[in-house]
Amino acid sequence: MKKAGIIITAILFLLAIAGSIRTPYSHTAVSYDRLQGPSGSHLLGTDNFGRDILSRIMKGLGTTMTVALLTVATGALLGTLIGAVTGYYGGWVDRVLMRFNDAVTAFPTFLLALLIVSLVGPGSKYSVVIALSLVFIPGFARVMRTEYASLACRNFVISARLMGAGHLRIMFCYLLPNTMRVLLPALTIGFNNAVLAEAGLSFLGIGVSPPEASLGYMLSESQSLIVSAPWYVLSVGLTIILLVFGVGLIGEGSRADA
Amino acid sequence: MKIILRLLLTMLLVSFLTFAAFEAVSGDPVRTMLGTEATEEQAQALRSELGLDRPFIQRYFHWVSGVFTGNLGISYSYRQSVSLLLGSKALVSLALCMLSFAMIVLISIPLGLASYKYSGRILDVVRSIVNQVCMAVPPFFTGILFSWIFGIGLKLFIPGSSPGFVHLFFAALCIAIPRIAMTVRLLRSTVVSEMNKAYVRTAISRGNDRSAVLRKHVLKNSLVSVISFLGQTLAELVGATIVVEQVMGIPGLGRFLVSSILHRDYPVNQAIVLILSFWVVLSGVIADLVNSAIDPRIKLSGEGRQL
Repeated sequence: MKKAGIIITAILFLLAIAGSIRTPYSHTAVSYDRLQGPSGSHLLGTDNFGRDILSRIMKGLGTTMTVALLTVATGALLGTLIGAVTGYYGGWVDRVLMRFNDAVTAFPTFLLALLIVSLVGPGSKYSVVIALSLVFIPGFARVMRTEYASLACRNFVISARLMGAGHLRIMFCYLLPNTMRVLLPALTIGFNNAVLAEAGLSFLGIGVSPPEASLGYMLSESQSLIVSAPWYVLSVGLTIILLVFGVGLIGEGSRADA
Repeated sequence: MKIILRLLLTMLLVSFLTFAAFEAVSGDPVRTMLGTEATEEQAQALRSELGLDRPFIQRYFHWVSGVFTGNLGISYSYRQSVSLLLGSKALVSLALCMLSFAMIVLISIPLGLASYKYSGRILDVVRSIVNQVCMAVPPFFTGILFSWIFGIGLKLFIPGSSPGFVHLFFAALCIAIPRIAMTVRLLRSTVVSEMNKAYVRTAISRGNDRSAVLRKHVLKNSLVSVISFLGQTLAELVGATIVVEQVMGIPGLGRFLVSSILHRDYPVNQAIVLILSFWVVLSGVIADLVNSAIDPRIKLSGEGRQL
């Protein structure tokens, strides 16, 4: 299962990387071959401007994955820092930050992201990244805090202290590797949530907007063409599903191993 | 009583944050309304008409007191009372949320128990694949497919028209599918870990029937975490309805929220955000209440649910 997930994800990753170097056609090149079904020259057909759908999916996949990776990286990094400090030291900082955290995590991710995007200013890849990472920090912080708090009183930490290791060293050299058990599944779940949230925001027209291609925006474009070009909707939709499915399998697998 | 007080306090805080956040970014709405051609006198007149010339705190209190009397201000783009604009839309969204929540509860609990009961090597693999696929399907994609197949193809409903039951049913289904998958998985894994506990072993070793133990004791204990999750789900349905309303052409709050964001119609935006956050806070409280009714050990101390 985990292997299947890794294979699916790897293929999509390669497709996105290949797309950033070279696509079969230019993803913005307009041609007279409008709304062609899948064929030898256009593997996934063309859209209403005669643009090659495969090329656009490769570009869009790249955008969506970049947004998701940046989001998860920022969210996990800051979340881990906050979680490590609050979990390791405890005390009033912990209590205050966690109350605040509870408030934010009680709020639906998508709604919050939507609001932050509308405040930051809709329409760019980076405002989506900012909004989503802000929304994701508390989740990571909470998971990591619990992990750090339960590890901090273990014997190996006490003996490390006795041997003269500093707090920072203990936090990041001794404890961090031990948190991987929960951090890895959290990363895959975060990645998937970011993909779906970005797709949703772009679908609504407030996420990534043209000329940049993103899977969500393509889906909203393809919706009006569903009768004349059903392959467009299906290929974009299935790409999103495959991506989330593949990463989900990896997450499931790494949870089962632990 | 304490709960109501907490609810009120939370809402007051939320309303203040909402108001302040929009205040910080809204720029000068009068200029966007009048365009660049307007004279300074016209702008000033409109500003005092909308009450924008008063200080921030004063306007906030005016707005909050308006919430209680149902006066949420005037929409910038429609020039109509916001509460008038929102009324029918809120009902549509509420119906959509409740329908989809009912589906989640009614389908996932029996399905979760069934998936615990019937397990085997191949069945487990099939189940987890189906589960992962269902979780991976974004509601807006199913929304597109359903409008295509059932709306355009079979003509069961007309996307974009005022919604009938069939229309809402399919919209609710789109939202429910991934949530059902998550709830089923959660319920199954909770039941599995609960069945391994000592009290279950005791009950079975005393000659009780396995399925009777499951029904009488384990289910009740497993439901606590499921209900917390369902409370969170009830809150998150709001996020899902926003997109699905857009996809399936349902004139609800979510759709209106998106258009108000795109048109920078801040009074409408603020009002919808306030309504949605009230929904979120309320669903957390409801989950707590149900849980403490099931398991009296859980006190309503408010730990972890405050906003």
